[in-house]
Amino acid sequence: MRRLSEDMKRAVVIFISATIIFSMLAYIVVTPMPKEQFFQLYVLGETRMAERYYPDNSPNIPVGRLVKWYLGATNFMGSIQYVVIKVKLGNSTIEAPDHVNYMPSPAPVLLEFRRVLMDNETWDFPLAWMIGDVLEDGNMTYATLLVVNVDSGVEVRSGQVGALNGHNLRIIFELWTFDPVTENLIFGWRAGGERRVAWLQMWFNATKPLTS
Amino acid sequence: MKYTLSALGIVLLVLMAMLGALASLRGTLNADALALSEGSKSIDDASAEFKRGLKAVREAEAAGADRERTAILVERLNSVLGMIDEAESLLLKGNVTEADAIAYQTIDISKRIVLEAVELRDEASLRTYYEKIFTFGIVPVASLLLTLGAHFGWKWWRRHEIDRIMRMEKKKEPEEEK
Repeated sequence: MRRLSEDMKRAVVIFISATIIFSMLAYIVVTPMPKEQFFQLYVLGETRMAERYYPDNSPNIPVGRLVKWYLGATNFMGSIQYVVIKVKLGNSTIEAPDHVNYMPSPAPVLLEFRRVLMDNETWDFPLAWMIGDVLEDGNMTYATLLVVNVDSGVEVRSGQVGALNGHNLRIIFELWTFDPVTENLIFGWRAGGERRVAWLQMWFNATKPLTS
Repeated sequence: MKYTLSALGIVLLVLMAMLGALASLRGTLNADALALSEGSKSIDDASAEFKRGLKAVREAEAAGADRERTAILVERLNSVLGMIDEAESLLLKGNVTEADAIAYQTIDISKRIVLEAVELRDEASLRTYYEKIFTFGIVPVASLLLTLGAHFGWKWWRRHEIDRIMRMEKKKEPEEEK
């Protein structure tokens, strides 16, 4: 058998080494980089910043006073996602969402906002609400909340909640997503075999209007 | 006796009228309930078709479809969501006919989205397949070019070095010059 010349041996070694290196590079190019999958959920004040959440910076909201917030969500899941933000009305005794067992709050749903989000897309919209009426029954104050969404025309939804002296009422925002495995909406989302949830709450007190 | 019979007749007539009214009301209620259930069925169908559309668009995206074209489909899915909301709102107000009409309209839109998404997915799958073949196919070509470059580069450098050595002259020392 003819022995390979020194030049040929060198060329074969270079060719094999280059093939290994270029194959690794090709694999990196065709394989998408794994990244952390999550959603961002936020509420901003009327200035579209994390401030001035209440009129006159007081959480004591009188009847008929409009409160304007901006609700938003960003999709960092790396794929298209169907997102639902559920707005719930509760008091201090109603259970908050459970992030350990991924259970949503049992508070009644006031309204839902739905949207399909592209990867890295941020969706935000105004949420304007006011206390339409308060009804006192002993120590309990029942507040009727009106949501006036001014994003696309005017849509009015209302819900009622009671609290001791009208204190510690809250609006809960829960992020629900479409689960492709069960083909249903789930509270939170699945990311790499793990389940995560995102929710927010804003506290306020219902007060009667000032009589002049 | 005559008056008793007349009174009985009136009572019977009133009873019949009440029964008739009840039956009619029941019929109307049933018709309303039926209409509402039909309206809700069309909305359920619309939601199911929307989910099919969403699944198809997600598959197209996973296959590597163009972001701009996917964004157009996503925008149409969002318009379907808006229309389903509108249909639900109309159904709550009792406007079953219009709710139905909108729901069926969204079913058509969702079906078209599914068709376009499938087309986009197939196109993207084929493109991604060729891209992968090209990427891995270029590996031996690049390796060969590198090997040839290294081989001829080495030969040139060696010849250059030999020439340089061969052209070397012994430097005369100053004492020898004298």
